[in-house]
Formats: sequence, C-alpha cells, structure tokens
Amino acid sequence: MADRGKRGQEGDIERSPSRIDSVPEERLIRALMNAFPEAITGFLKVRNGLVRARLDRRDLFKACKFLREELGFEHISMISAVEYDDRFEVVYHVTSYKDKLLLELIIRTPKDDPSVDSVSSIWGGANWQEREAYDLMGIKFNGHPNLERILLPRDYQYHPLRKDFRGD
Amino acid sequence: MAEMWINMGPQHPMTHGLWNLRVKVDGETIVDAQPEIGYLHRGIEKLCEGKSYPQIIPLADRLCYGSSLTWSHLYCMAVEDLMRVEVPERAEYIRVLTIEMQRIVSHLMWLAAYAGDLGLAAGFVYTMRDREVFLDLFQSLTGARITYNFPRIGGVAHDLPPNFERDSLRALSYFEGRLKEYEDMFEGSKIFMMRNVDVGILRKEDAINLGVTGPTLRASGVTYDLRKDVPYSVYEEMDFDVATHKDCDCYARYRVRMDEMWESCKIMRQALQKMPKGKWRIVAPRNAPVGTGLARVEDPRGEGVIYVVGDGSERPYRVKIRSPIFVTVSAAPKMLIGYKLADVVAIMGGLDMCIGETDR
Amino acid sequence: MKDRSGATAGQVIAFRSKDFLKWCDEVLEGVLRRSPVGSGLDYITKDFFNWATRNSLYFLHFGIMCCALEMAVASAPRFDQQRFGIIPRSSPRQCDVLLVNGPVSKKLKPALRRLYDQMPEPKWVIAMGECAISGGPFYKSYSVVPGVDQFIPVDIYIPGCPARPEALIDGFLKLQVQIKENKKGLLTGK
Repeated sequence: MADRGKRGQEGDIERSPSRIDSVPEERLIRALMNAFPEAITGFLKVRNGLVRARLDRRDLFKACKFLREELGFEHISMISAVEYDDRFEVVYHVTSYKDKLLLELIIRTPKDDPSVDSVSSIWGGANWQEREAYDLMGIKFNGHPNLERILLPRDYQYHPLRKDFRGD
Repeated sequence: MAEMWINMGPQHPMTHGLWNLRVKVDGETIVDAQPEIGYLHRGIEKLCEGKSYPQIIPLADRLCYGSSLTWSHLYCMAVEDLMRVEVPERAEYIRVLTIEMQRIVSHLMWLAAYAGDLGLAAGFVYTMRDREVFLDLFQSLTGARITYNFPRIGGVAHDLPPNFERDSLRALSYFEGRLKEYEDMFEGSKIFMMRNVDVGILRKEDAINLGVTGPTLRASGVTYDLRKDVPYSVYEEMDFDVATHKDCDCYARYRVRMDEMWESCKIMRQALQKMPKGKWRIVAPRNAPVGTGLARVEDPRGEGVIYVVGDGSERPYRVKIRSPIFVTVSAAPKMLIGYKLADVVAIMGGLDMCIGETDR
Repeated sequence: MKDRSGATAGQVIAFRSKDFLKWCDEVLEGVLRRSPVGSGLDYITKDFFNWATRNSLYFLHFGIMCCALEMAVASAPRFDQQRFGIIPRSSPRQCDVLLVNGPVSKKLKPALRRLYDQMPEPKWVIAMGECAISGGPFYKSYSVVPGVDQFIPVDIYIPGCPARPEALIDGFLKLQVQIKENKKGLLTGK
C-alpha cells in the first residue's frame, strides 16, 4: 500500500574511487554492496545521515553481524513492524555512534509466515523491542531467548495492531 | 540464607508510575531482577490509526507526561518529514525555547521525586516550588500545566504572548541562583552522597550494547547527544556543551542531569536572543502523501524516535513510537545485581522512568 | 484461661491468642455493639470521630498517569494539601481514600480491585481526571476500561485533563462535606 519515497536516486551510486571515503553514507553503501551483493538491494540516501536499504530476510543475521562487527553500528534504535495487504515489513533502524549514521533496513516477510531471525544476541537492546513486535503484531523471532508478551496480559489471545483486529 | 522473590509494585511509593520489579534477594543482596511493564498500556499506536494527523497531537502529549512537549514536537517533526513541509524559522526558535524549558521542568520533576525517595524531603519541597515558576510561563504561553497541545504540523499553535521574553529572562536568572543552591544542598548531604556514589554501576560496553540512551549513557562516558551529533531544528545555531561523566554510577547520572539543566538555561537565553520575526505557522496539507517519515529527538530521558507511514489519506497508516525508557528498563538487571535491596530506590530512581512512554 | 505452671516470672496467667480473640469478640459484640452501651458511646463520640475522620483523609500513594503529577504537586508548597490533613500513605491498609488518577488498563484491573479490597472500612474512592471517570482520550482503546466505576464504587468525580491541583483539593473538600452529612457511629454503624 505505501511505497518508498522518491527523494534521492534509487540505487544509482557513483563508483568513482575519489568520492568514496569522504562521504560516510556512500562508504557504507559501498561496503554493504561488496559484502552482500544479492541480499541487500534498493539503496537510497534519503538525506544526510539516513540511508535506506532492503534486505532479504534469510541474510538478516549475517548482515547484522557484519554491521555490528565490521562497520561499527553499535546501537539499534528501533525495530518496527508494519502490516500491508500482501506482506509484513520489519524495519530496523541501526545507528553508528562514531559515523553519526542511521541505516534503515526493511525486511519483507510473506503474510502467512511472519517470522525473522532474532538479532538480540548481536544487540542486547533488541530483546524487548522484538518482544513488543511479537506481542502487538505477531511477528515471530527465531532464536529469541524469551519470546513472551510484554505489554498485554499473558493470556491475551490477539495481536491488536493487525488490521483485522476488531476488538475483543 | 534463603532466597526469595520480592514484588516491588505496581503500587509502591518508589515506582513513579505503574510497573513491577521482581527482585530475587539472598539476604539483603540482589541476585536477580525482572522488570514487568504493561500496566499502563493504552494502545496509542492503534488509536492513532483512527484519528487524523492533527488529532493525534494531544495523544502524543500523553505519551510521556513528564516532558510532554518533546513528544508532541517529535510527532509533528515526523509528520512534517512525511509531508515534506518546511517550518518557518520563528517557529523553530519557539520550538527550541519551549523544548529546553520543558527539559528543565522534566529534570526538576525527576529531582523532586528522587530527593523525596532518598529521604531528602527538603529537596522535594524546593524543587517543586521552582518548577512552578516555569509552569507559570507555560501556562501564559499555552494555557495548560502539563499536557500542552502546543505544536502544530507546520509550526506552533500561536505566537509568544507579550512580555514573555522579559518573564523568561527573569525566571532564568532566578533559577540559576537556585540551581547553585541545589548543588550545594545535595552534594553537601552525606547521606545523599553515600547512597549515590559507587551504586548501580553500568559500564560503557554494557550501556552501548543494551541500547541505553540519554543521560544514563552519557553518565557511562559516551559523548552522544542527538542535539549535537545529529542536529535537528535550529540546534546547529546554538552553542552548548554535551554533559558527560566518566563514573558510571548514580552520582554520575545525577551530575549529568544537573549539567543539562545549566546547558538548557544557556540555550534558552540564546534562543530568546536570536529569535527572528516572522510567521510562526504554515498550514500543512490535510492528506499525507504515500511514504514514510522519521524523526529523532533527544528527549530528557534518551532517544525518542517516531516512524510514520502515510497512505495518501488524512489518517496515518501506522505510527511507531520508540521510547527510551522501554530499552533502559530492560538494562535494569545489569545495574541491580550485586547491590543491596535499599539501593533499588537510588538505581531505579536515577533512571528517571516515565511509564507513559514505556507502555504507550 | 489457662494457668501456665512452670512459666517465667511475669507470665503467670495468660490467654492463648485464639482464646483472647474469642473473648474480645464476645465482649465487644455483646457489650458494645448490641447493647445500649454501644449506642450511648456512639452518641457521645460520633461527632468527634467524624470530625477526626474527615480532617485526616489519608490517600494511597498510587499514581497512574498525568493526574498523578498534579497529585504530587498538590502536596508541594504552592498548593499544600497537607494543611487539610490530606497525606499520602504507602500501604493500602492505612488509607481512607483510594485516588484513581489515570486510565485503568485491563492488566491493572485485578490489581486495583485487590488494592480496594485491602483497604479497611470506612473507605471512599475518588476518580480524578477524565481517564478514571470514563476512559478519557483513550475510551476507544482495546485495553482501557472505560471508567473506574465499572468495578469500584466511586464517591467523588473530579473532571479535568489533567485535573488541576486546586480541583483535587476542592474534590477532597467536597468529600469532607459528604462525610459530614453521612455521619455514622464507629461502633454500631448507625
């Protein structure tokens, strides 16, 4: 239903070596394209300091490990879950303190199997955020140490933020 | 010694707000801790999907009622990012002025509750009285004391009232004298220092790994403040320092917040001086385009983020709110284990928890 | 009564606690409650106890949402509700008034009902703020109970979002008037 914004160029990054190291956003895009050539697609430099990319959900754990260990993205700001007509999207906002960059990773999952790998072993701050996405939207995180409801009562039956929830 | 689980909350004088802390104690020493939240869940994110964009601003106020202007501003910034609306410059300066005043008010509320819990009842009484000075300024500006409904998409609701600059400068010079007195009062109190120094240590690596942001992160030695590092609004024009401290204990968190209050006074003076004349609001479009908007601010408690998804109509498709305290509370067990039961008050109070934003 | 032979000095004749409680019950019930002695005592002390009750309303230290900030500020020097005898207490067993000052979510509902049941008689409930009266701005939400009077009887409603500290003090004063009008003896309950 919602489409990506059209600011900046869609995946059209110059590959001239003289510009690479000066602009942190382009350095990041370059590093990600080299490490995960098919998994990460659709790069977009939204504005200064914010880069958006799509990621295939099978490579999520490897890509996040690479981000944390090689590129120095130490902080996960937010994990959101959005439901569309034909898919779920899990959006990860990851921050780098020293480069002052924010990377927005968008992962699509099919409507009948909303599950992704858990990144709580990479970033401890993702633990409760994943529990909340499970609680309110019903996304399952494989490998999460304690995937239980956090905001609603333990025995609540529904996932309220889904579009087909009409009150209990 | 037998170990047992103790329930602290949801009704407990220490917990300002509704949450439960289950601690496992061995004698007096804490062995394990499990915070439980969710007693104040109101489903704000779902409510937002049924309201139009301007109707959500009062709801955003009630997210964190301790510093409500920050959240309504954050929501307006996210929607302005979605609608690609440019805010006039006078509105930006008014926003910065009121956000910094809100930061002082929020820190004073924290200090009042913190001092009252630790036994310094004089601290509660004095800081509450000085908070009223700024609440009077807010009342003359917006008409309310806690939840203001002041920002609008495209600016602020109305201009500053007459004599606001004179009254603010008077309030600031009064307050800076009092702030010095508070520092002497708190740091001269031996009991306060004993209960705070070397209590609740959260090392730098743990703080970064667990996603802690805000004064708690800066008290662990990481110099990261969104106002300085990823400037939004007109913070680039303001000259101020980022308050950090290298001991990672409760005293460091207290010290960071006091320094932040000094810096806020500086920023307020600069904003009053540099404020241009002009429009304070432009009318934003009724329908949002299809797309997403993102905004991040430095809330008095940490990093707040709002992510808005628009679908072309006058109501948002999805609003996702990131609350700093939600993540900081999950780091609480790291800070609690190994200390005594009476330290829980100092450690959890030092995090400045506002449950409204945690539970949404 | 049991004579404890072989007891330590000072402990010659003593009740067992179960027998003592039974004795208390019988004496109080018979002498005080059912006989004219009880009504006479009530007649003499009713006004005095009522004056004492309404001028020392202790409320429970229980803050839910924004109105709780105004509840805290009402104890601060500017509004100073403590001059009316209104003081917060930490334990529900020592309180007269339950001040509900925010929206009650479905997760909180059993806990709040238990707090209300733990308070001893006579007790009153004040619903402060729109969220406690009817759900407030969140009344359409899936997880908010629309009003605290769905499961707890309420005596005073204080409107406002948030209710100002002056409104809270006014609510307490109205409760004092209500207590004065419904005078009941402590012993016989009439």
